[in-house]
Amino acid sequence: MSEQPPAPDFDAQNYARPNQNWICGHAWQGNACRQGPDAKGRCRATAECKPVLETKPGETKGRWRCTRPGCVCEAGPLPDGSCCRPIAKCSPVPTLRVWRGRATLAVVATACAMLLVLLGNPPWRNQFISPGEISDAHSGAAFAALAATNHLNQNCGACHVAGNSGPDGMVNAALGAEPGIFELKKLAIAIPAEPTAIDESCLKCHAGRNFHQPAAPPVSCSFCHAEHQGGVIAATTDANCNFCHGDAAKMSVANQGKNGAPPVIHHFAEDHPQFRFITEKWRDPDTLKFNHALHLTGATIPNLTGGEKLDCTFCHQPDAAGAFMRPVAFEKNCHVCHSLQFDPDTPQLMLPHGSAEYVSAFLRSLPKQYADLAAKENQADANGFVQQKLAGLRTQFGSGEDLERRVFFSTATLGPETQIGTLSGSTRALFPGCAYCHEVKTAASGLPQITRPMMPERWLAQAKFNHAKHATISCAQCHDAVHSKDTADIILPAKETCMACHSPRGGVADSCAECHTYHKPQVAAH
Amino acid sequence: MNRFRRQFASGLLTLLVASVAALGLHEKFGALPDYAFLTGWALLAGMFVLTIYNVRKKLPFLPLGKSESWLQLHIYLGFFTTLLFLIHLHFRLPHGWFELTLAWLFVLVSGSGMVGLFFSRVLPRRLATRGGEVIFEKIPALRHALKTAAENLALGADAKSPVIAEFYTKRLAPFFSGPKNFWLHLVESRRSASALLAELEDRRRFANDAERGKIEVLLALVRQKDGLDYHRSLQLALRLWLFVHIPLTYGLLIFTALHIVLVFGFSGGAR
Repeated sequence: MSEQPPAPDFDAQNYARPNQNWICGHAWQGNACRQGPDAKGRCRATAECKPVLETKPGETKGRWRCTRPGCVCEAGPLPDGSCCRPIAKCSPVPTLRVWRGRATLAVVATACAMLLVLLGNPPWRNQFISPGEISDAHSGAAFAALAATNHLNQNCGACHVAGNSGPDGMVNAALGAEPGIFELKKLAIAIPAEPTAIDESCLKCHAGRNFHQPAAPPVSCSFCHAEHQGGVIAATTDANCNFCHGDAAKMSVANQGKNGAPPVIHHFAEDHPQFRFITEKWRDPDTLKFNHALHLTGATIPNLTGGEKLDCTFCHQPDAAGAFMRPVAFEKNCHVCHSLQFDPDTPQLMLPHGSAEYVSAFLRSLPKQYADLAAKENQADANGFVQQKLAGLRTQFGSGEDLERRVFFSTATLGPETQIGTLSGSTRALFPGCAYCHEVKTAASGLPQITRPMMPERWLAQAKFNHAKHATISCAQCHDAVHSKDTADIILPAKETCMACHSPRGGVADSCAECHTYHKPQVAAH
Repeated sequence: MNRFRRQFASGLLTLLVASVAALGLHEKFGALPDYAFLTGWALLAGMFVLTIYNVRKKLPFLPLGKSESWLQLHIYLGFFTTLLFLIHLHFRLPHGWFELTLAWLFVLVSGSGMVGLFFSRVLPRRLATRGGEVIFEKIPALRHALKTAAENLALGADAKSPVIAEFYTKRLAPFFSGPKNFWLHLVESRRSASALLAELEDRRRFANDAERGKIEVLLALVRQKDGLDYHRSLQLALRLWLFVHIPLTYGLLIFTALHIVLVFGFSGGAR
């Protein structure tokens, strides 16, 4: 006996059509009726044949003849003309095709019911259709208060017009959208950055779009600021910037600087030009004379009071946020070495700092200054002390005018001391004269005039930078201070220095928004 | 190279070229906000062509090309549409209940399609190794015939073998009563049938010559029934994936329609 599953030959009489919806209820027993169920699944079985009445000439009643296919049955039709072999009725069975249709209907019905329930209930609707969490700025208590002040809806309707309506309103809004649902051509050529209807909602709270260039074309808020991402609103991507800055045609009509049209830029590492302070050879116009190289590497620079060597951090201290450096101040950063000791024999007495007038006044009141010092130090012969000191000054500097001139105009090379400090000296640095560090001029009145140092707190005011984020690298990696001898040197890193890290090769973020901001700093909001 | 290989090679090449082009365009224009509109419409167009394959099957009398060609198009476009779907999502999981549901529907529809493709490529070859062609709709009748034969042999009036009758009642009757071992057959395991056959063969030791003859016939019937179950399992699997693929396609279309309404209604033609 064969052990393979039975595979009967094709039976044309009992051809099972898989595309039929119903099969005979007797099919599983192998004796399905030939008629099979109708399209609605009703059994059509009656009898094995439908007898035909044959009436011969001369006969009045005639005879019923069996029409059973294959062979005529022995008993023949019954007297009433019905077949003697009725077929038992069955309960037709739905095919897989019907079950699949039912599953499809169930899914469609479930989907429709679910959508009707969820869309019909406003709180559920808003939660259901929201494509993601709203950013903190647009969902917190502060936003709720602002929305109340501006009489805004505090759900989807705050930004979306369709958010104030039900399903029919959404459909109407969709049909009224510009470009419309079916306006594929318009959609294909629509300029993506153009302000749209939703920008009207932004402007209710954000008064005007504050662009970085007055001539820049209007750009939709949502072009750069994608909502429904939760947390902090999404940062601008390079593609947003490249929409203009990567397009030569747009750049050619932008504001022409002194070097012509702004360059076309796609990525910092690829085609961002060298920084302008390098290409345009910017110089620091500050009149203060400072030699970074000497202070960091000079052999004559004494150690600090704690014994440590002078380094960048002694003068350049980060602000509270750590992003930028506090301004350098004489009292805090310079005075520790550069004490204003004009009289080597009286180190307790120092010149004031900050105003040429004060210095002049101080020098012209030296007898009083010495007298005060004598009183402070409880000198027994105060008058003698003063006379002795004044005599010493006269011996060393000559007249009072000479002393004042030396104090203001003397530099180390012109003054009595050829160097201002010694490692083994009694004091850290003797005072050679104001002109050693400052630009000193003679005013029309004849009085000395010191040009006020102008040290900019930030060189690239529009750029973002955070020193705290760069704390893992040494100052010298970016600022080549040890080779800078001139105040005019701008010791900022070149593009290549930044690129060592901020590039795909360096692995650190190098998007435009890392350094640049789009809006002007004074962005308005109320 | 035969026709099938030629079709496969050209289809695969077209799919690869289209995919590389789509990924290249995504790389270049992916960040533009209107890009989502364009990929969305392209995705919808792809879904539309995929869906009308079902309509094409229902209208065989219309001169709409060969069904075989439509199937090839359905398969390759299905893969490409899945890539378009990922591009439309920027290769990120969407947020929000509605969009997540929509995405899962797409994943289930395309996933079930891939399962169906895998089945239709693998299972027919496996079926050919187990006997001749068995028409799925006739399997219940064939099973009934096998059951009747086994029952007559073991319990019939001339059976006269308590050993076989007892074994039939306890072990073979449940086996012949209906389809068995669906999952085991799918994973090509014959563990259960082999155990049953081993038990039946064990009965030879206690049987006389006449009974041994009946046992041999029963063994053959069990193997036939196991082969029938194997055919049923694999042929059912070839049909069952459509129970996920087709119904969820309609669900996906409903959610897609709403997605379009929401996108346009809430963006006001913008983003």
